[in-house]
Amino acid sequence: MIPLALEEVSFTYPSGVTALREISLTVAPGESVALIGQNGSGKTTLARHLNGLLQPSSGRVMIGDWDTRQHTVAKLAARVGYVFQHPEHQIFKRSVQDEVAFGPRNLGFAPARVAQLVEQALQATQLSTVADQHPHDLLPALRKRVALASVLAMDTPVVVLDEPTTGQDAQGVRAIGEIVERVRAGGRTIITISHDIDFCADHCSRLIVLGGGRVLLDGPRETVFAHGDILEQTAVEPPQLVRLAQRLRLPLAWEPQPLLAALEQSQRQR
Amino acid sequence: MIALYQHRPSPVHQLHPLTKLAISFGVIVLALGLGVDWVPLVLYLLVLVPLSALARVAGPFVRTSLRILLPFAISLFVIQSLFFPEGNTILARLGPLSIKAEGVRFAFAGTVRILLMAGALLLTLLTTHPGLLLTGLVQKGFPPALAYVIVTTLQIVPQMRERASTIIDAQRARGLETQGSLLVRARALLPLIGPLVLGSLLDVEERSLALEAHVQRHNAQDQPLPSAGPHLGAGAQMVDCAGHARGDWLPAC
Repeated sequence: MIPLALEEVSFTYPSGVTALREISLTVAPGESVALIGQNGSGKTTLARHLNGLLQPSSGRVMIGDWDTRQHTVAKLAARVGYVFQHPEHQIFKRSVQDEVAFGPRNLGFAPARVAQLVEQALQATQLSTVADQHPHDLLPALRKRVALASVLAMDTPVVVLDEPTTGQDAQGVRAIGEIVERVRAGGRTIITISHDIDFCADHCSRLIVLGGGRVLLDGPRETVFAHGDILEQTAVEPPQLVRLAQRLRLPLAWEPQPLLAALEQSQRQR
Repeated sequence: MIALYQHRPSPVHQLHPLTKLAISFGVIVLALGLGVDWVPLVLYLLVLVPLSALARVAGPFVRTSLRILLPFAISLFVIQSLFFPEGNTILARLGPLSIKAEGVRFAFAGTVRILLMAGALLLTLLTTHPGLLLTGLVQKGFPPALAYVIVTTLQIVPQMRERASTIIDAQRARGLETQGSLLVRARALLPLIGPLVLGSLLDVEERSLALEAHVQRHNAQDQPLPSAGPHLGAGAQMVDCAGHARGDWLPAC
């Protein structure tokens, strides 16, 4: 398990748009971090620095003891798995199983290990029953899980999820949440980019709020949700329950049980 | 073509596309009709370049026209100056070969003609959105189905380029080595081409569905659809629907 570090990272696209401005942060092994902020705030740009798809214009990105500038994306893939938003951009094999095996094979694992990792990934994503089907015959929501499985099977210490819940119904979101929890329990670091603030509140213990290429807020959920004014600057609305708690002047809560408990306590005090 | 178009607020951009085409062809006819070697260069410098400056596209105009010209210019000068059949006036000798003045003159005349022709058409393309150009042509009787095929093809190119780069990123992120020996590159081809082709086919299907819905809104009563299956018939449907739509679907840009 390895830590991540961004050291005064700035990035300007060739078009002249500066997407990141002197960002410094570290992520400890096993943390579950969400990157949130409005469109164009720099979330995806930041995440793409983690596996070398983008290189900083200045500053440096360290993945454990590796400087991303000194390793190819294909090499960095052994440390940072990146699940892209659209599964259509990567699926090309004729069966789910082969698709999931593509990543670990690229990393040069022995066939027995590949088979074991594929099986684990399919189990974790509940795709074992469709292992022999053609990925394009699956519903889009399941296809998204194929993309997730294909990265989980690479057994990387860090996993980046780009908008994991788009296009998923409530059941699908729950299933993805369960997968994330299982991966977390395995000790891997998870970085989630998402506009789904409820999902982030449920599954990420640390939130990094980006706006205009800068870190506006960085901390545990309760600290970040308490700054409604700063969140508003980057078009982030706290979860419904948090807003309800704030309106009722109760301690912040993003799950029903703690909120109900707080409500009952305040009733009793009256 | 769509990659050439530069959006700017300028009087040249506001001209009717056919007016610009007429100017382009007029300049070309004038230059070639006079038959004087240096006229095309003068027209390029005194008519086309100032017009491009007026259209605020002088930079891309000069750069792109020189880029188009360069390969022609090199081959013309090398071949004609050395091998011009009626060349007598020898300027220099290079071993068994010699550079002849008549050849150089012929190469110059050819080069400036190409420069003028490329420049004249380029000016129209740089300042006219392809959609508007085709609307103009359709209004003058250009077949709408053909115009639709041209417009969608042009619009697909930048989309494909963007899709390709995302796919390359996605596969590299899964450990696919895309740089190195020929064998490594050849092996990387399938994982890149697969999603690109499949994704584009899905795109075409979606496009044809959208088009069908659009056309049906316009002429709700009489819309027979081709009986071919949705996969095989997607391309045919697009052309067919374009024919039914008779031009009122062209983008209003």
